[in-house]
Amino acid sequence: MKKSKLQILTNGIIKENPVLVLVLGTCPTLAISTQAINGIGMGACVLVVLTCSNIIISALKKIIPDTVRIPCYITVIATFVTIVQLVLKAYAPALDKALGVYIPLIVVNCIILGRAEAFANKNSVVDSALDGIGMGLGYTLTATVMACIRELIGSGTLFGATITANLFSPFTILIMAPGGFFVFGCLIALVNKLTKGKVKEKRVNKCLTCPGAEFCNEVQEGGCDK
Amino acid sequence: MADKHTNLIVSAAPHVCNPTDTATIMRDVVIALIPALAVSTYVFGIRAILMTVICAAACVFFEWASRKIMHRENTIGDWSAIVTGVILAFNLPVGMPFWMAIIGCFVAIVVVKQIFGGLGQNFANPAIVGRIALFIGFATPMTTWSVTKNMSQAIINNAGVDAVTGATPLAMWNAGAELPSNLEMFLGTINGSLGEVSALALLIGGIYLVVRKVISPAIPCAFIGTVAVLSLIMGFDPIFQVCAGGVMLGAIFMATDYVTSPITTSGRIIFGIGCGIITMLIRAYASYPEGVSFAILLMNILTPHIDSITRSKLNGVEKKGAKK
Amino acid sequence: MSLTAAFYIVLSAIITNNYVLSKFLGICPFLGVSKKLDNAMGMSVAVIIVMVVATAVTWPIQTYLLDPNGIGYMQTIVFILVIAALVQMIEIFLKKYIPALHKALGIYLPLITTNCAVLGVCVLNIDNEYNFLQSILNSFGSGVGFTVAMFLFAGVRSKIETNDYPEAFKGIASTLVAASITSLCFLGFSGMLEKIFGM
Repeated sequence: MKKSKLQILTNGIIKENPVLVLVLGTCPTLAISTQAINGIGMGACVLVVLTCSNIIISALKKIIPDTVRIPCYITVIATFVTIVQLVLKAYAPALDKALGVYIPLIVVNCIILGRAEAFANKNSVVDSALDGIGMGLGYTLTATVMACIRELIGSGTLFGATITANLFSPFTILIMAPGGFFVFGCLIALVNKLTKGKVKEKRVNKCLTCPGAEFCNEVQEGGCDK
Repeated sequence: MADKHTNLIVSAAPHVCNPTDTATIMRDVVIALIPALAVSTYVFGIRAILMTVICAAACVFFEWASRKIMHRENTIGDWSAIVTGVILAFNLPVGMPFWMAIIGCFVAIVVVKQIFGGLGQNFANPAIVGRIALFIGFATPMTTWSVTKNMSQAIINNAGVDAVTGATPLAMWNAGAELPSNLEMFLGTINGSLGEVSALALLIGGIYLVVRKVISPAIPCAFIGTVAVLSLIMGFDPIFQVCAGGVMLGAIFMATDYVTSPITTSGRIIFGIGCGIITMLIRAYASYPEGVSFAILLMNILTPHIDSITRSKLNGVEKKGAKK
Repeated sequence: MSLTAAFYIVLSAIITNNYVLSKFLGICPFLGVSKKLDNAMGMSVAVIIVMVVATAVTWPIQTYLLDPNGIGYMQTIVFILVIAALVQMIEIFLKKYIPALHKALGIYLPLITTNCAVLGVCVLNIDNEYNFLQSILNSFGSGVGFTVAMFLFAGVRSKIETNDYPEAFKGIASTLVAASITSLCFLGFSGMLEKIFGM
């Protein structure tokens, strides 16, 4: 049952893609995926925070008392989010402006808390780091693909370069709220199709990684989104 | 409009057998839409018919293709896709590029209907959502009412110079410009979306549907009545407000969709009044000149709640969904 | 602040800048707890309460504690911990003094700590440079906006729950498409409040 290092790394990119398979971290993905560059930027932020917090939490797993682990995790995560926030403000102010409130909101992004709870507090530092990188890459990949689709159809550009905007009018609804929900729904349907519905069990298990699960009455009914 | 009729299929026993099936109802709706199509052909020229045919064909194609991909029973024989296509075409400006109209058909049939399981399982009216998606997605072509040169020639030949205006009456009203007379508004020799222009023709279709018992008059009456009353209260001309834009088309053919409107008569009256209020609010205050489609969509979304408060109570059963 | 300005803040947070349907905050509970109307409304009431209380606490902290001492960058850490502690306290308070309400809302409260809408509204109030009263109004409006979205969507979900979906769209995928259609109707009201209130 022990996974190899490579498996841990690739796990997050495809098999347990945090966004499309585990359906975690939906809010920022939907909100920022209007431009491909934002998808990469947000992905990089999540990647850094996730990897760092996974390492620290894994290193401290013996020290942190079980009863107050969630507040401890949140503090660790919030620290790294603040660091990322300050770095962005200093070196990439345009990206900081584009991502806006969604940077501080990485704190409550369930991917990070979910990985801390489901992986980092049970595994070694190296494995946790790999898991963080894999999950972060999975997130980046998904957010970027989604943003590319929305940007290309919704504004006829890709990474800011005009592609089809001159040829025909872009279908601007794609970069608005309804387009976000729709493209996300279609990507999940695509994953369902490709995996032939095998991912469904994992989504029920999502509740196990949800910090509120023990109080959540949906758990008894078999999962939040079942 | 009777886009589909699950309420007739999925019902509690006893099941009464009736020769009326979906196809019959949908055929009646198509017949009822013919007068409006005739008027818009007269006003806008042959492109009106072309647009209608292309939309209907695209809808039928998407219906067929999506059922094929899902390995499900083919449903194009029930005419519902044709009705959706025709009504969607009626909601578009006549000069709209055809490929955009086809995207609208895709949204209506695939996104709104087939993803949710097809006929009768959608919660919003397909044509409405198709129209709104185009309206927001292609804002400029959807609100460009000035017709092309060929087109205006056709219009001049057909209907006289009156019709070659660059804006719809509602847009003119919003901008405070001089308006067409109420008689023109009623007959439909005005600019606007393809099938919306003639209140008279739509009314004839509506009366036909009521006589054939395809639709109940509750929703159209409540909808149109509310628009008229609110216009009076807000100090607008009620006849203009009722004849302008999509009120007639929406009230008679789209708000009355069996699947997405309430089941009981009292529910339908609430639905119609709600549509009227939202329409007038958007017309008077929002940045869009027309609010009929948004109003119907919002009421579609509220329909489950309206149904749950107006559903006839069962004896001895505690009412479900009641507020605590 | 005039009464119209107050109404404008509340209504725009409900309609034109709806937290769920236009800012994508609080999507998890929106998708997760909207299946039954009772649960949806319970969650919504809890969100309104926590949003308003959290703003009432975090705004003074930012203005009188963090900013004067030049440690405004501690915002994220401080806010999330304050919210977490606050939720705990609200829960204990309700349990002791209003047990009936605790029974109705208790299960939703812990979930709210990680609801990004709550942290989001606290941060946005500061970003928008609202004063205390404006912040409270904005938080209240945002909570009500969340409630409206939950109410509408709970109805939709009750209607489409038993649908015979295509295989790939079963579950969350079709729910997202439904959310997409639901969010369409909110776009129709754009510009309305500005015109009504003459902003």
